[in-house]
Amino acid sequence: MIRFILVQNRQGKTRLSKWYVPYEDEEKIKLKGEVHRLVAPRDQKHQSNFVEFRNYKIVYRRYAGLFFCVCVDANDNELAYLEAIHFFVEVLDAFFGNVCELDLVFNFYKVYSILDEVFLAGEIEETSKNIVLTRLDHLDKLD
Amino acid sequence: MSTPMRGLTVFIADIRNCRVRELEEKRINKEMANIRAKFKDGNLNGYQKKKYVCKLLYMYILGWDIDFGHMEAVHLISSHKYSEKQIGYLAVTLLMHENSDLVRLVVNSIKKDLEENNEIFNCLALHAIANIGGREMAESLATDVHRLLISPASKGFVKKKAALTLLRMYRKHPDVIPAADWAERVIQLIDDLDLGVALCVTSLIMALAQDNLEAYLGCYEKAVDRLKKLVVEKEYSLDYVYYKVPIPWLQIKLLRLLQYYPPSDDERVRAKLHDVLQAILDLSQETPKNVQHNNAQNAVLFEAINLAIHLDTESQIVNQAAVLLGRFITSKETNVRYLGLETMAHLAACVDSLEPIKKHQDTILLSLRDKDISVRRRGLDLLYSMCDVTNAKAIVAELLRYLNIADYGLREEMVLKIAILTERFATEYQWYVDIILQLISTAGDHVGEEVWYRVVQIVTNNEELQEYAARTVLIHLRSVSCHESLVKVGGYILGEFGHLIANISGASALEQFHAIHSKFGSCTLQTRALLLTTYIKFVNLFPEIKGDILSVFNQYRHVLDAELQQRAAEYLAIATMPTDDLLQTVCEEMPPFPERESALLSRLHQQHSDTEDKRTWIIGGKDVNKERESLRMSSLITRNGSSDSKKTNGHLTTHNGSTSSNGGSTSSNGNINGSNGYGDVDLLGFGDLDLNSEITESPTTMTITSQRGVLPAGCITPGSEQWFGKLVYTTEGVIYEDTQILIRLKSEYHGHMGRIALYFTNKTQIKITSFTTVIEHIENVIITTPGPPSTIPLSGQIQQLFHIECHNTFTGSPNIRVSFIAGIPVYTIGLRLPVVIAKFIEPIELNGTDFFARWKQIGGGHREAQKVFKSTYPIDVVNGGIRKLVSGFRFGILEGVDPNPSNVVGASVLHTSKSGMIGCLMRLEPNVEAQMYRLTVRTTNEIVTQELCTLLEDRLTNDKL
Repeated sequence: MIRFILVQNRQGKTRLSKWYVPYEDEEKIKLKGEVHRLVAPRDQKHQSNFVEFRNYKIVYRRYAGLFFCVCVDANDNELAYLEAIHFFVEVLDAFFGNVCELDLVFNFYKVYSILDEVFLAGEIEETSKNIVLTRLDHLDKLD
Repeated sequence: MSTPMRGLTVFIADIRNCRVRELEEKRINKEMANIRAKFKDGNLNGYQKKKYVCKLLYMYILGWDIDFGHMEAVHLISSHKYSEKQIGYLAVTLLMHENSDLVRLVVNSIKKDLEENNEIFNCLALHAIANIGGREMAESLATDVHRLLISPASKGFVKKKAALTLLRMYRKHPDVIPAADWAERVIQLIDDLDLGVALCVTSLIMALAQDNLEAYLGCYEKAVDRLKKLVVEKEYSLDYVYYKVPIPWLQIKLLRLLQYYPPSDDERVRAKLHDVLQAILDLSQETPKNVQHNNAQNAVLFEAINLAIHLDTESQIVNQAAVLLGRFITSKETNVRYLGLETMAHLAACVDSLEPIKKHQDTILLSLRDKDISVRRRGLDLLYSMCDVTNAKAIVAELLRYLNIADYGLREEMVLKIAILTERFATEYQWYVDIILQLISTAGDHVGEEVWYRVVQIVTNNEELQEYAARTVLIHLRSVSCHESLVKVGGYILGEFGHLIANISGASALEQFHAIHSKFGSCTLQTRALLLTTYIKFVNLFPEIKGDILSVFNQYRHVLDAELQQRAAEYLAIATMPTDDLLQTVCEEMPPFPERESALLSRLHQQHSDTEDKRTWIIGGKDVNKERESLRMSSLITRNGSSDSKKTNGHLTTHNGSTSSNGGSTSSNGNINGSNGYGDVDLLGFGDLDLNSEITESPTTMTITSQRGVLPAGCITPGSEQWFGKLVYTTEGVIYEDTQILIRLKSEYHGHMGRIALYFTNKTQIKITSFTTVIEHIENVIITTPGPPSTIPLSGQIQQLFHIECHNTFTGSPNIRVSFIAGIPVYTIGLRLPVVIAKFIEPIELNGTDFFARWKQIGGGHREAQKVFKSTYPIDVVNGGIRKLVSGFRFGILEGVDPNPSNVVGASVLHTSKSGMIGCLMRLEPNVEAQMYRLTVRTTNEIVTQELCTLLEDRLTNDKL
């Protein structure tokens, strides 16, 4: 199960954080820092997309200047989550039309509702891009 | 379409333009003041509320504290506009914690939205529960969510979200979900035409089935059929094809679900499953160019291999997979190497013959030098799993070599694994001693306490090791750079077995002493304390060097550190007594340690216990995994327990890992938290001396580690209170009984010390295994015990002894958790141990004058507690029951002090080891007609006064005397 999702830029600024396990605010700040320091210096070319973190592991992928990280249980299927990240990024990309970091900043409340259509309760919820996008389109048109 | 919030965009842009934090803070404060004013004004329309709440959320996300606006968020939830409702729910889920009181305010709104005939609102409400649902929401909303899941009228979106919301509720509060009762309806949904629904439902079922294997057995064939449709028959909606792979996430979930069940007996089902696995393997013969396609395909492939290993390690499919894995571990792609090693470790952990894997040994050893630490870790895991008697020496040697250059983060785990492998596969004792000492000396700082404890334990228990070990440590002690951990081992081993080598030239008593003492000055206080103990042992073993040692003691009698000073002074006193009787008794050779689960293993397993879905395998050899497997599957052999008990049991097994790690912490040996400050290094057990002369076993202090989920800490088996009550004022009797087990207790107390023996009788028709007990400690009461035997034979009995010391005043009583396996997965009982403050009281005799003098001296106020209360049963002042109870509370009953013969007056003294003695007086006045008591307690300590009063009142109210 996913414990949390973090989207951070190269400077370590967190652009999206979603917690599926209740952490105290202080702990969240600590986790963000630790994950950034763990992931950012890793070599893109010669290192895997998985890294152990406390008793869990972080599955992450870098898109331009943004790191998309999910923290999952040690026994979870790494590639499944790696592709779930990619799926989420494709949805964001289609929804915002060539998504960039600023889209996430100015539309943070929309990003959360997109997230809730793709992941829920720490599990992947919907994996059809077509269905998610149609749904988001529909919600966006509602008053 | 809702209007975009211009104000918000401007605000965000403003903040982004603040180049320094002070400016940002100024802008934030200004905005907060503005919003506060607007909210205070009231009279805002929905749009304005939404906009301001959004601004607050943005500030919250930036890390500013938000302490208002919650009510406005709650109002937004009741709006009829989607865009406002959505922001309301978002604010609630971001700002509120699941345990926040404010959550209560939204439960009703959520319930309304769930009942609404509007799927959009249903979904928003489900999101909220899935994000912040705590116990309260689970209890009041679970049935509504379940209804949405199974209702034929529900749309796909609602079903998906309802399934995952239930999953969240179940993971947090499994007792709220009647998992077994829902099985039939939920299983049906795997077949849902909507693949999104099937995916979410499979996630839900996976969690429910792990704990209720039998109830969800029906999902097995359904999962196989669904897989076959996807993989073999290629029946799926094109919407769900992800880079040419049909819904890989669902395939993976289904493949994982099947790993929680034993292979099917049904030939037909097995054949279908075989076709599926074969099809997946065939697909992987080609490596797609597209990264996403390749990843998705491999994700499914690795899960399929895991399932194949689970089904039958000797199958043709596993053979093919092994060949593939051999290719993967040399792949150019790091991800693939990583997964190849990981899956190969799974294979190594389960197969009968390691030969096919050993072919790759060199490649695997090379992986320890991979550029990626993640890969290095997998390599280490694999080496650990594939180790056996034949290759242990080579692997251990390589690991030792690598240890020197390994990442710091990896070293501690490596040390642990090397230590375990060395112990497990040692065929010659010399090899064991050489390697383990080399390990301690090279890895020094990364050697956990468990490692050297274990060495001491093994050397003590194996006579043939002792002489060689003593000789080897002496050599190490003489080297210039001798790590402190080695000094500890050396000190202990020479203290116990130094005499075995004293005749060898270069190893005389004096030379041993000099070797150790040359390191003394550079050691920490803890180690020095341990070495002082070695020296007193030397005095006993080698009287000829007594003079040198006495001068050390003499010198250390004056050091500032209290612990060292005390040891030096006491040892000096013992050594200079007129006869050697005490010295000889104290320094008698250590008896073998009782066999326990290795602390090393439990430490290792602890690292892997924190997962939401159970592990399907663990790092290690096939024996470990087979045992785990049979343990898990045994729940399929039906027991006639009610659905209620099934639920609790299921819940317990979820955290199997953590249960066993508790058992493990029981066994970290030599951990005496007695009165001495360095208890954890004192293997001699001196802390026990003043209690009784028998130093037969080194006691272990049980500590309870994080008890994640396994019945909340402090939880008591319902109904066990009846026995506890009686035992508060009696010394022996039944403390618990049911159809499985009978537990009797005997106890005795002297001053601040006590002993309890628990007798466990097996009432089942089979052998009880994996028997463990864990004490949930309370402050100021120290309980030590050697672990109990781990099995109880058919209709047999075992006993466990507990030493108890009252450090200081305390309230309440410690609990004990007893767990074992007798057919059903794990049976756990939580009991209160009748160790209450009253047990450390000794009765005293006083005459009337003395009594009143003291009564007055203590005085009223906080030191007095008085209660008037009604008894459940009629009061009998004639039969002596009341007097028996009062003297059972260990008060001396003073006759003739009170003019009314029905009244009872008592006096006693409470003993504690740290706060000394506390005088206790009491007076009880029964009123037979009104069936009431008046109870007065006076002691010199407020806490004791209150606690004694409460304890007495409880028993007087509830017991028939």
